[in-house]
Amino acid sequence: MKEITRYAKIWWILTIGTTQIAFASRFGAAIFMIGKLLRFAFFLLFLVVLISKTHSLASYSFWQVIFFYATFNLVDTLPQFFLRDVYRFRYQVVSGYFDYILTKPFSPLFKALFGGCDVLDFSMLLVSAGFIGIAGSHIGVVTIGNAALYILLIVNAFLIALAFHVVVLSMGILTTEVDNTIMLYRDMTQIGRFPIEIYKEPLRGLLTFIIPVGIMMAFPAKAMLGLLSVQLIILSFVVGFLLLFGSYLFWQYSLRHYSSASS
Amino acid sequence: MKKYWIIARGIMEETMTYRLSFIMWRFRGVLQFLVLYYLWLALLPGNQTLFGYSQSRILTYVFASTLMSAIIFSTRVAELGETINKGDLSNDLLRPANYLLMWAARDVGDKLMNIMFSIGEFTILFIILRPPFFFQSNPFFLAATVITIAIATILFFFINMLLGCIGFWSNETWAPRFIFTILLQFFSGGLFPLDILPKPLFAFFSATPFPYLLYIPLKIYLGQLSFFEIGKSFFIASAWMIGVYLLLKIVWNKGMKLYTAQGR
Amino acid sequence: MPAITVSHLSKYYKIYQKEPGMLGSLKSLFNRKYQTSKAVDDISFSIEEGELIGFIGPNGAGKTTTLKCLSGLLYPTYGEVSVLGFTPHKRKHAYLKQIALVMGQKNQLWWDLPAMDSFLLNKEIYQIQDKQFKKTLDELSYLLAVKEFLHVQVRKLSLGQRMKCELIAALIHSPKVLFLDEPTIGLDVVMQQNLREFIKEYNQKFNATILLTSHYMEDVKQLCERVIIIDHGKILFDGKLADIVKEYAGHKLLTASFEKKIDKESLRAFGKIEEYEPLRVVLSIPRDKSSDIAAKLLDKFPVEDLNIEEPKIEDIIRDVFQKNKL
Repeated sequence: MKEITRYAKIWWILTIGTTQIAFASRFGAAIFMIGKLLRFAFFLLFLVVLISKTHSLASYSFWQVIFFYATFNLVDTLPQFFLRDVYRFRYQVVSGYFDYILTKPFSPLFKALFGGCDVLDFSMLLVSAGFIGIAGSHIGVVTIGNAALYILLIVNAFLIALAFHVVVLSMGILTTEVDNTIMLYRDMTQIGRFPIEIYKEPLRGLLTFIIPVGIMMAFPAKAMLGLLSVQLIILSFVVGFLLLFGSYLFWQYSLRHYSSASS
Repeated sequence: MKKYWIIARGIMEETMTYRLSFIMWRFRGVLQFLVLYYLWLALLPGNQTLFGYSQSRILTYVFASTLMSAIIFSTRVAELGETINKGDLSNDLLRPANYLLMWAARDVGDKLMNIMFSIGEFTILFIILRPPFFFQSNPFFLAATVITIAIATILFFFINMLLGCIGFWSNETWAPRFIFTILLQFFSGGLFPLDILPKPLFAFFSATPFPYLLYIPLKIYLGQLSFFEIGKSFFIASAWMIGVYLLLKIVWNKGMKLYTAQGR
Repeated sequence: MPAITVSHLSKYYKIYQKEPGMLGSLKSLFNRKYQTSKAVDDISFSIEEGELIGFIGPNGAGKTTTLKCLSGLLYPTYGEVSVLGFTPHKRKHAYLKQIALVMGQKNQLWWDLPAMDSFLLNKEIYQIQDKQFKKTLDELSYLLAVKEFLHVQVRKLSLGQRMKCELIAALIHSPKVLFLDEPTIGLDVVMQQNLREFIKEYNQKFNATILLTSHYMEDVKQLCERVIIIDHGKILFDGKLADIVKEYAGHKLLTASFEKKIDKESLRAFGKIEEYEPLRVVLSIPRDKSSDIAAKLLDKFPVEDLNIEEPKIEDIIRDVFQKNKL
């Protein structure tokens, strides 16, 4: 318990520090945020234009499709707030800063994942949550059970995202290649902007279970709509746990083979 | 002339130096293409049409847009802003070469890499996926496609240089560039054919240079524009190209005055 | 029980080669040739608590790699390391709380914030009590004379001021063992001297064990009684600085100035002429014959002044490295 408080305190100091630094270039940060909102709005426009013609997508109604997109957006935005420092990792390894992190009595994995949260990003998270509220209010009756399941599966989705980011960090240690890997993760998760059912098998299976975009993005929304079977719910959590555990093992492996920046 | 070729070649070698990075980069490109391909395949199964596009036309659109993007959009000019910020511009200007041509040479290197590998990937994917590809046979349309691609490439080059000039006035070149990339993704026609948009929106974006970068060459290739429309497109695209070039010259001179005044 | 024990430590790396040109680049995509580089090759030594040791060696000798193995950053390929009873690469928190690593020219401080913010972060990470934190901070900032700079953005500080703040950040938790990797590199002469005095004082006051790597002989001469010379991953010498001279330099330098001009030829018989002017000569003479030769010179020539010195350590060590290259 004491450890958790200590980590929470350190996380807070790191976050305040990062936010102060980001505040100095707040003009750029504001433009960046406008860009993200535009990206969100434009894709929404695309969706609306599509559904207005086709009237339904893989047997989902207009607001259901929007809800899927809103869910995707939340699962996409969560790591962008919490795991921001992964995007800075390459620089930290190459500059030797990571060496300092390794010599501190503090989990280097925690620092590399959560050490760079910017409070300004939090506003995007709120917008995403707000949007879910709007879309959610149009999809009909939602039971408390389904809503709880939804939240749990969102957390699970975040854990899967976390596992991917740990893999990205591990690869960064072994190869100093981070940027492409992280963008690869983003490329793959983009698939979740549409309900997975529009794809036929075997592609659908591949996207749902192998690259678990389906589990991350589609399953929470389906659970909210009451469309997810118990087996798949359990499977989601099992997959989440396995991926997280596996990624942690990979991280340990990469540290053993760390060669450090040269002087 | 040879020095420009050496610059281009340097870019090509540099790209292959980091093996993993290179493979990831190509893999990402293929993945992005497949996502788009399967998306449109799912939206347009079989013989239906959507927004006037048949499956054949839309899949041709996706395939062709990937190839054309390799030619038009691959660039190193995104690094210009940082070069100015870091002061490396001073080093570059000391070299006995036309600065604009130097960046063009770097772009040529980048484009050659992209085109080479895109053609390879395109061929393999074509064999595997067997799309109902539409081969344009009309020589006039083919010629017009090539010309608009050329104009689009040069226009995009100038726009990028212009964006890079922000570096003269600010350290934050990446934020405006980010917005530009977003606008580009949606309104140059890479994600969807622009004419699916409602008419007022379509008209609005037709007043920007974006559609002329990818959408217009694609439409011309598909043979879906009349002679008059093709002529009009040439004219507007060229006008944008010249206009941006003139603006670039003005902004560049202003920026250089500021840069040298700061004693770099 | 020594504070640090290193036993047959080896660290090997794989590096790959690429042929030049386009073809080489294409080839390297498919097939790579690897070479094993032995950064550290079977070294052993032990260090007692409170010692101040210098590691000297040319670039790529293995000094930094050794330090990184000791601080737990790198896993040894072979051999064993023990510091304060811990195995460094296990990176137990109890171990990390007692050591500090400082790398010259590499920053752990937040660049865009005042140094104080970074100190407060370290305070939390090392779980330092408020009272102890204040006491240590006051002591260190007094010793380093940086009190006015603690609330200034680090990016606005000069290199020397920054280095001082880096030191405070590294020492705020009162570590027992200090690893300093080229701490004075890039600093001006005055600042280098400042830092040397601080390191010496810190070692004496807190009895901290300090391992220092450096290119600058001055650092080692002033601070370290004991030096370890490393080259190509192997230890060439481990002992007192004064002993290097005895072991490696078979000669001494004799400087004589004369009242009248003496010609070069007549001096050749006495020893190897290093420098010559008509009124002054510097001879390199065999160590055991130095007093003999001095006596003969005084006898034969009108000597105004005569001086016998040890050769400069820098020169000796340079010779050692030169010989080791072969």
